[in-house]
Amino acid sequence: MSKRILIVDDEPRYLRLLEANLRTEGYEVAAAQDGIQAIDIFSSQPIDLILLDIMMPRLDGFATCQRIREYSTVPIIMLTAKGEEQDRVRGLDLGADDYLVKPFSATELLARVRAVLRRSQLPAPSGQARFFTHDDLKIDFARAEVWVKEQAVSLSATEYRLLLQFVHNVGKILTAEDLLTSIWGPEYKTEKEILWVSIARLRQKLEPDPHAPKYIVTRSGLGYLMPPSES
Amino acid sequence: MVDSRLDPRTLAYIQTLAQAANMDNDWKTALDKLLLALRAEFVYDNVAIYVTKGNEQFMEVAYARAIGRGKSAEADVAWGEGIASQVIARESIVIQDPATNANDRLGQAYLLGLPLYNGSEILGAIVFVRFGGPVYEEGQITLALICAAWVATLLLRRIYLETTQRLKALQQKVQLQDDFVATISHELRTPLGFIKGYSTTLLRNDTSWDAETTKEFLTIIDEETDRLAQLIENILESAKLQSRSVQLHIQPLRLEALIRDIVSRVRIRQPNVDIELHLEPLPPIQGDTVRLAQVFDNLFSNALKYAAGAKITITAQKQGDTVLVTFADQGPGIPAIHLPNIFERFYRVPIENSKTGSGLGLYICNQVIMAHHGKIWVDSKINQGTTFYIQLPVNLHA
Repeated sequence: MSKRILIVDDEPRYLRLLEANLRTEGYEVAAAQDGIQAIDIFSSQPIDLILLDIMMPRLDGFATCQRIREYSTVPIIMLTAKGEEQDRVRGLDLGADDYLVKPFSATELLARVRAVLRRSQLPAPSGQARFFTHDDLKIDFARAEVWVKEQAVSLSATEYRLLLQFVHNVGKILTAEDLLTSIWGPEYKTEKEILWVSIARLRQKLEPDPHAPKYIVTRSGLGYLMPPSES
Repeated sequence: MVDSRLDPRTLAYIQTLAQAANMDNDWKTALDKLLLALRAEFVYDNVAIYVTKGNEQFMEVAYARAIGRGKSAEADVAWGEGIASQVIARESIVIQDPATNANDRLGQAYLLGLPLYNGSEILGAIVFVRFGGPVYEEGQITLALICAAWVATLLLRRIYLETTQRLKALQQKVQLQDDFVATISHELRTPLGFIKGYSTTLLRNDTSWDAETTKEFLTIIDEETDRLAQLIENILESAKLQSRSVQLHIQPLRLEALIRDIVSRVRIRQPNVDIELHLEPLPPIQGDTVRLAQVFDNLFSNALKYAAGAKITITAQKQGDTVLVTFADQGPGIPAIHLPNIFERFYRVPIENSKTGSGLGLYICNQVIMAHHGKIWVDSKINQGTTFYIQLPVNLHA
């Protein structure tokens, strides 16, 4: 079944550009000119990915992303016109999965879309144990569900994949490059901001004290690891 | 001064002085009050305050007041200059009694000059004059010294206020420039983004586009290149106008023909735009065709951007030795608080979130019209529209 992508931009010429390129790859496209329209469309039809511009009238990209994240983990790529670091980080902080800096080339656009859609597929269960427990953290691999202290936690596909990397390598330090390459793809090897923000979001959702993490620990200058369970 | 207890009357007086010096925020009013209050115990006719300028060689009169005898001398403060420069040079009190054989009573000036300090640095001098005496007594000089200390504080307050104001103005200027850089990079990136996006779309190896789509994309690239070119043109032009290095190429021109020309260009680009023309036959005027065209280009580009879809009406008529052009849109209008500033360089009317300009267009219009010895002004009503008026002299050198 073909993937359905929602594109959101107030410039008709960007909508046309995105739509023309995405259709050649067999994606279906829905278009919105501002955040309000985007949320309307998103809540009335199935959407697999959102391409979201920042500077828009009525409801801007940041606010739109924030609202959608309140109830959905749909992959979101922000289109940042400024290409400034603070905008990118802010988008990621609000839960965007990736960003594309204007001006971008058609091939860059399609590559990012492919990468994000690939990541959004939940990994198939590995066929070993069904459950994983680590102190108060519990994962059901078969259903891709995560609990902390018996409370279900909603993770985006990327966050879930990131968590699995640690779970499958308990006690082993993973470098930023390793994580970026294996989860985001080799073309993201140097984009550490994406990783920092994702780690921070994951800690926010899992850790009892995100500032003194116990599940995902930073080893300064080396990388991250999940220490062996204390119990 | 034998009694060690303080005299309540003197205390009350000093308190009055202190209050006068501190009540008012405006340093000049405070000085007026202080120096007037001083006269209750310390009589003088004229007072002047001199401040050093840059280095101590130069002085400037910061304040002068004739209160008692010799009021006519108010404007003429030269009487104090000599003694003030002595006070500043010696950094001490200077007392000058008149030559004893003078006949004119008003000529008999008893001068008292006191230094004004900012810490250990000399700020200037305050000079009192009594025409025809009496001489200054020791207690009075002490009183004048107390007063001088407050005067120095007030002068510092003035310096502080002026510096703060200068800094604020500078800060505002820097802010405008920062905003400008942010906006201009956004404005430059928009057309650039289309050019990059559509050209790489056409260059894709893994797909092909039909002739119609190819033409559509190439047209977009072409138009966005023009938009980019106009923006760059505006940036350069505004820099030139700012440094006043712009040279007008004056020649006789027919303004109504120029307007018709621009309108037909706009109609090619935007076939749906509703433009109504009421152009009376005008005498030829002296002007720079390219620059005046730029003015109307900018007005159109604003109207199409901020009053998209609204009708545009242009009129032109002769008025005495001038021609008057009006350019009116029926768009959303400009909020009144922005109207006084819209011709300033980098000034932008904040429009919710998305559409922003460079803050250059109207600045350029104003500079070009002024270079033609003309006038441009604006009238705008919310939800009714905006009208620009341009008045140009028929004969530039008349």
